[in-house]
Amino acid sequence: MKRMLFLVLFELKKILNRKKALLFLVALNVVPLVASLALLIAFVKFKGFGFGEIQFSVLHEVVQGLFTGHVKLFAFIAPFFLALVVGDSFSTEFSRGYMKMLLLTPINRWQVITAKTVAIMIFLLLAVCIGGMFLQADLLIARTLTQNSGLIPESMVQNLPGGLGELGDLVKNRPPTYLVSTASALQLLAMTFFGNLMLIGFFIVFSLFFESAILMSFTSLSVLMGIHTFYLVASGLLNKIDPWYDALAKWCFTRHLDDIFAIKNIQSILDGKASLLSEGIFSSLLAVSIWTAAFYLLATLIFSRRQILH
Amino acid sequence: MNAAIKVTDLSKNFGRKQVLQSLHFSVPPDSIAGFLGPNGAGKTTTLRILLGLIPSYRGNLEMLGCSIPSQRVAALEQIGAVVENPTFIETMTAYENLYWFGSLYKPLTSVRINEVIEMVGLKEAIHQRFGTFSTGMKQRLGVAFGILHKPRLLILDEPTSGMDPAGRVHMREILQLIHSEEKTSIFLSSHLLDEVQRLCNYVVIIDKGVTVSQGFVADLLASHLEKWEIRMADEEIAQARQLIENLGQQIIVASTPRGLLLTMTTGLSAQVNQALVNANIKVSALIPQEASLEETFIKLTSDSGDKGGSS
Repeated sequence: MKRMLFLVLFELKKILNRKKALLFLVALNVVPLVASLALLIAFVKFKGFGFGEIQFSVLHEVVQGLFTGHVKLFAFIAPFFLALVVGDSFSTEFSRGYMKMLLLTPINRWQVITAKTVAIMIFLLLAVCIGGMFLQADLLIARTLTQNSGLIPESMVQNLPGGLGELGDLVKNRPPTYLVSTASALQLLAMTFFGNLMLIGFFIVFSLFFESAILMSFTSLSVLMGIHTFYLVASGLLNKIDPWYDALAKWCFTRHLDDIFAIKNIQSILDGKASLLSEGIFSSLLAVSIWTAAFYLLATLIFSRRQILH
Repeated sequence: MNAAIKVTDLSKNFGRKQVLQSLHFSVPPDSIAGFLGPNGAGKTTTLRILLGLIPSYRGNLEMLGCSIPSQRVAALEQIGAVVENPTFIETMTAYENLYWFGSLYKPLTSVRINEVIEMVGLKEAIHQRFGTFSTGMKQRLGVAFGILHKPRLLILDEPTSGMDPAGRVHMREILQLIHSEEKTSIFLSSHLLDEVQRLCNYVVIIDKGVTVSQGFVADLLASHLEKWEIRMADEEIAQARQLIENLGQQIIVASTPRGLLLTMTTGLSAQVNQALVNANIKVSALIPQEASLEETFIKLTSDSGDKGGSS
């Protein structure tokens, strides 16, 4: 167990050592970073007019919208990032001989796949959290500025007497400081975890056949996009010609990712109106889990037979 | 006591090409064993199979009493190995590479890492990036990685490949030190027969995927070749040379200032003696010489080539 833990840390260190991965970390978070800074500057400017509380509710709404966009955008960009990172972790390591050195130590091949997956997943979840944290920090700073503005301190809001009319309601019903509830955040993280775990498994299968990360990424992404394009065409157009295409489209695993990360699902979870156990989301997660198991079994089988000749 | 390595009927094909054909050998414990063979003999493939880098093959393997592949992890916990050139992470320093890779065997202390680094003479380069290392430094770091966890057996593939003569001498000293101080058995493949003769007490020779010979170096040299310098009157040298050469290709004749140097298959000396006596050539001195491993190796591998390989 200790050896496995150490292997995960080693893999994580290798990922963090790669400029490519760090570049992606920045790229994935550039939208929330820039947006949060811009919003904060705008908020500070408008607060000067004395409408701090009103602008905070507007800010909260905008930031929540941005967060939804961040999760959706992340789901869209993550495959490109994953293809390169998985390619580096397997294909590049085959060609550079790092895999040979790794397999000379007393570890099993399935442990190598597991450790690399865990490390990539930690990095990925860290990346999605960083974007959320930028936006959350925005709200915290904005609220702190509002409290210090001298208008109505937080302690007074709790003890406000009734009969203040519309202003009283507005102040009492002002939005919370947190961006998402803990339950929503955890559920979104779980969705990100399951969806991307399947993708990592898919890319690992490809990476075992290549010794160049770029070539592996290009091929696997082409196949991934090909499958999804076929799904879109088969389910939207070809099924009208022959229902057989509809049956075939059901086997396109990429559709489950589309279903999970649909804007309405993300929004429903943020609003607390849906959970992972909700009908549409749960069935997609189940299908994704089955595909994940299939990809990992295949990857383990191929890797256990692979000859390390470099 | 279990053999350090025991290989039985090992066969391996790459596509249609058969690289190993029923290879068999064993390496005694507590020895420094050399694994010899010409290019393409199958040395690296054998080492890769032993260490689990090539999972598909036919045959039975055992290392330190552990059956391979079922007890591969248990075996590797007691083995240090570097196959071909060590390929550590270029952007990490020597210390970092040893720490991260070495800790996959067992938790390491910085004291042990420093001790090993000093043993292989890389103290000055401990915080230097691996990518900036020379070939010799890379090989030495490979050896350091192999002995970090105090293994019972160290397997090295061409540890002096690409090194200059001074580097080779240094590597030989390092390996002798490891054998004596850490009580580690060593199994190394090499092309440098002189190095192997100086360092190893046991050798396994393979050619074209089959075992040609194996045994303790001294026994091997004595059992396959004998070498004599014979001295005689100057006017008789040419006649003696002609006579011996006519006896067959099993005898290599070379000139010395006062006679001839004969290198021949063990057992042929009586035949030579008889021929000289019959020709009435008076041999004034008969001086035994030690055959080199190189001569034995060339004889054995050329014999196996003539016969298509034998064990």
